[in-house]
Amino acid sequence: MSRFSRQTILPGFGNEGQEKLAKARVLVIGAGGLGCPILLHLAAAGVGSLGIADGDNISESNLNRQTLFGVKDIGKPKAGTAADKLKETYPDINFEVISEFLNTHNALEIIEGYDLVLDGSDNFGTRYLINDACVLLHKPLIMGAIYQYEGQVAVFNTGSDPINYRDIYPNPPGEQEIPNCAEAGVLGVLPGMIGILQATEAIKLLSGVGEVLQNKILLYNLRTTSFFELEVTPNPSSRKDLPLDREAFRKKDYSIQCGAVETISWGKALDWLNQTENALIIDVRAPGEWPEMQFPGMVQIPKPDLEKYPEKVSSVEHLFLFCKSGIRSAQAAAFLKKTFPEKRIFSIEGGILDPSSPLNSATYGAKA
Amino acid sequence: MGGFTVKTFGILAQKLNQQELELPFCTDTEELKQKIFQLYPNLEDFKFSLAVDKKLVQEPQPLTGNEEIALLPPFSGG
Repeated sequence: MSRFSRQTILPGFGNEGQEKLAKARVLVIGAGGLGCPILLHLAAAGVGSLGIADGDNISESNLNRQTLFGVKDIGKPKAGTAADKLKETYPDINFEVISEFLNTHNALEIIEGYDLVLDGSDNFGTRYLINDACVLLHKPLIMGAIYQYEGQVAVFNTGSDPINYRDIYPNPPGEQEIPNCAEAGVLGVLPGMIGILQATEAIKLLSGVGEVLQNKILLYNLRTTSFFELEVTPNPSSRKDLPLDREAFRKKDYSIQCGAVETISWGKALDWLNQTENALIIDVRAPGEWPEMQFPGMVQIPKPDLEKYPEKVSSVEHLFLFCKSGIRSAQAAAFLKKTFPEKRIFSIEGGILDPSSPLNSATYGAKA
Repeated sequence: MGGFTVKTFGILAQKLNQQELELPFCTDTEELKQKIFQLYPNLEDFKFSLAVDKKLVQEPQPLTGNEEIALLPPFSGG
């Protein structure tokens, strides 16, 4: 009995379907809540080569849903750790570790090497970037996304009348419109459901079994155990925003602007802090997020507490807010600016993931 | 004339604190959107797509009453 006999004996799948999976090169972007179940099931099913792209490290709060990781992995890089775990279980599958976030400079070169892409990212900027790169390269893309108790799945750039993300959502929202998992909250089983739906569509698309979820978007609600499907047709007017060629893609700005929030670099923020006592740097991440940071002039006030107790920051004139990537800090800065229009309130660009953050500089030792 | 049942998803359902709305008759999808923003001004800050009878609408479309409307915001989480 071969490892894949339970699927090769299936009518319509057979050895032919298995060979197609074995030959396939699939890129999974994001080794998080969606990426973990996607990777596990694609590897188990025998997909020959799996690219794992993620520039993030594992935090304790990831573990309720990022099921390839355990408590001993906290602080380690996600892409490499996922590959190590899977390699132990499925040593004959080829895992390719890409420990980077996708951006306009690396996305085309990375995606080009694969037959199929699965989007398990966690922010709108990356979702539009992946979509546009896949449209440009004519790569099929399986999108999955979650919000609190709900998820959505769609398959792009495949079939006779292909659709893409911009046909469903022509206008990118402001990042502040919709929070990410860190503050929206999520039950671990939800990305499990959505990731497995994505992996299922990938196996169908690659093997030719069944009907792929084409020209549709599927919605799932965990609280009511209900699915809802909407038909989607190509939307010519939404396509004006697609970059026409590689050069246009490289020049496009996918960072989502957060209203009129002032941003500042780490270097300038720390200089400012050294020059005046009337300034404060605030870590707005949730308690327990990795890595812990502590340096002079810094305090920790999780974003929801800022909203509840703005008086905590009322005594200083200059406020510098940071989080992991700069998204939540921009939202928090926008909120505080409404309460304190006279203060200078900055969001530090790129958060602690930024190469110039104190975490990455020689003067600061991160507590691992 | 018939009104509409409007299904809402994601952050819209959260902001409304309900998954379904009943709205009075409107002649087209544009008027319907205006009606929604008038009755639920807290939705005005959010971008969403609109579907009529389970088909996503890209251009304003006339309505006859009793169609099932869905309001679909994008989700970003992963």
